[in-house]
Amino acid sequence: MTFEVEVGGRLFAVAVERTGHAGRFRVTVDGVARWVDASRMGEFGLSLLMPATGTATASGSVPDECVAAPFSGADFQVVPAGAGELLVSLQGRTIGVTVNGRRSAHADATLHGHGQVTIAAPMPGRVVRVLAAAGDEVEARQPVVVVEAMKMENELRAPRAGRIKEVAVTPGTSVEAGRILAVIE
Amino acid sequence: MRVLVANRGEIAVRIIRACREMGLPTVAVYSDCDRGARHVRDADAAVHIGANEAAASYLNIGAIVDAARATRAEAIHPGYGFLAENAGFAEACRAAGLTFIGPSAEAIALMGSKTAARTAAIAAGVPVVPGTETPLPADASADELSRAAAAIGYPLMVKAVAGGGGKGMRVVDSPAALVSAVRTARSEAGSAFGDTAVYFERKLTRPRHIEIQLLGDRHGTIVPFVERECSIQRRHQKVVEESPSLAVAAPLREGMAQAAAAVARSVGYTNAGTIEFLLDEDGSFYFLEMNTRLQVEHPVTEMVTDVDLVQWQIRIARGERLDIDPVRALTPGGHAIECRIYAEDPDQGFMPSPGLVRAIRAASGPGVRDDGGVLAGYEVPVFYDSMIAKLIAWAPTRGEAIRRMSRALAEYQVQGIRTTIPFFLWLLQQPEYLDGRYDTTYLDRVLAERRGESFSRFSEGETEGVAVAAALDTFLRASARRADGRLAPARSAWIQLARREGLRG
Repeated sequence: MTFEVEVGGRLFAVAVERTGHAGRFRVTVDGVARWVDASRMGEFGLSLLMPATGTATASGSVPDECVAAPFSGADFQVVPAGAGELLVSLQGRTIGVTVNGRRSAHADATLHGHGQVTIAAPMPGRVVRVLAAAGDEVEARQPVVVVEAMKMENELRAPRAGRIKEVAVTPGTSVEAGRILAVIE
Repeated sequence: MRVLVANRGEIAVRIIRACREMGLPTVAVYSDCDRGARHVRDADAAVHIGANEAAASYLNIGAIVDAARATRAEAIHPGYGFLAENAGFAEACRAAGLTFIGPSAEAIALMGSKTAARTAAIAAGVPVVPGTETPLPADASADELSRAAAAIGYPLMVKAVAGGGGKGMRVVDSPAALVSAVRTARSEAGSAFGDTAVYFERKLTRPRHIEIQLLGDRHGTIVPFVERECSIQRRHQKVVEESPSLAVAAPLREGMAQAAAAVARSVGYTNAGTIEFLLDEDGSFYFLEMNTRLQVEHPVTEMVTDVDLVQWQIRIARGERLDIDPVRALTPGGHAIECRIYAEDPDQGFMPSPGLVRAIRAASGPGVRDDGGVLAGYEVPVFYDSMIAKLIAWAPTRGEAIRRMSRALAEYQVQGIRTTIPFFLWLLQQPEYLDGRYDTTYLDRVLAERRGESFSRFSEGETEGVAVAAALDTFLRASARRADGRLAPARSAWIQLARREGLRG
């Protein structure tokens, strides 16, 4: 089975095949094959042991040199995050991964600057400041609305550059999670 | 003595731990959404006190005092936040015949007013940051404000008299911005503290935030401890603390400790409290405020002095005499660092990330302490502060403590919500942090310079490893689904039953 995997803006073609040995897989990344020993631990844990790149073989069995090779190991946690996205954590760090390009249309619009994008309240809270008005040009990541929630003031930023089409709230407005605060075109 | 813990989260868990070690039974209180919270599960008893909004539950004095009566608790520990610095709560406990594990209602009321606290510090001979000695009149005209500001000089801070946690605070760089800053500070202070009074204070440009923990018993003994360095702040909120401070040598430590003890003594202070100072670049220090409670960052002091501050709070409340060696209390034994782990996504501007904790594995091992507040299966609510744990690392030297903290952060696993762990891993690699060249303005400055790059950094090899893990995970989940599918529901119900019967046999 071949997967197209996007990690941090990079695309990998990853083919996975079972071998005759339980827990051992033949994994080909961008044409380079290697053996990976994978062990699922608990709901999210995935422990991988793999030889350094370059010990690949085309044959169907686990080669002796691979069994004897020094395996580097890594303990991943893989959590489904909806919409074809996975969150993969390794040693305290986390990165979003998409498998087989199931990126949502919304994310595409966000990245490529077509159509409208909205800024929505991620949680219930109260609008404390509005930092831009309809007609203003904003840069990507420029703060547009400040919402107080969980005892902190949170700056909600423009997902991309554009012009503010509408600001739907004023300071003091109580907002529910998902409420559209501003529209950028 | 049965102790009711009038708080939630990690600090309630911390207090319950201290009580259990002392053989004292505990009572937790909880709001609707906290029924399954760790502090409820850890305590010997628990009482529901109200709805999710803090005003209906954790700030509900009547419901908490009733809960203490109903469970025949004799003492109440307020933790920090919520009612911890509410003189009315301490008074209500006293009126109900309950021991309040903290200072007197009078001391809370006095030090809770920033201007009264400044006056007390001045009377005790301790320097304060130059500022207005009384609150500004509510009807002060623009002219009056300008004159008061000019007497102090720019840049200055507008601060809420009842303030704390960065609320009701504004920096003013020039006269033009003064009137609007006073107006916004007043409105913020009004909604946060129910008191719109503000005052002016000179703004030091590159200060460090250094604080002295102290304990006072009911027999007149006050013991100050080794300083805590709390200059790593994001928007006036501490995120990393350590003890001792690289900026404080023994003579300065002695001076600050004596000043702190003098302020506490002058108001007849008892129980645990902290005097906060600003340390200027030239080595002079100024009284900032007093916190009349246990602090979030108390563990770093515990780690370098081997004193259990929470147990001492309880012993002092019972009338015991302090028998801590004051020399030992002022001598740092090694170095300790604390990281406050929040349910926030550092890659989205530290946006709160409430939700279901699907799995959690705290760090452990030599020199590592986890003051955790949540367990798997708990849904971090949107109603309260988002801190889920404090991670503390101790080692003989600062360098070893930093490496140990990095090791522990990499071990800490939380699934289901985002946390600030990747941010700490990044911070602990910054040269300014490693060299201790930072002040209270450092973190906001470096964060403002960032351009949206993730705090989670992966090497080339790791990125490829992530791709392999994601592909294998998808492959294995698909295989598992196919295996389940072969035992399709209607057809397999009998097969599964037969299997279970077979297994039982």
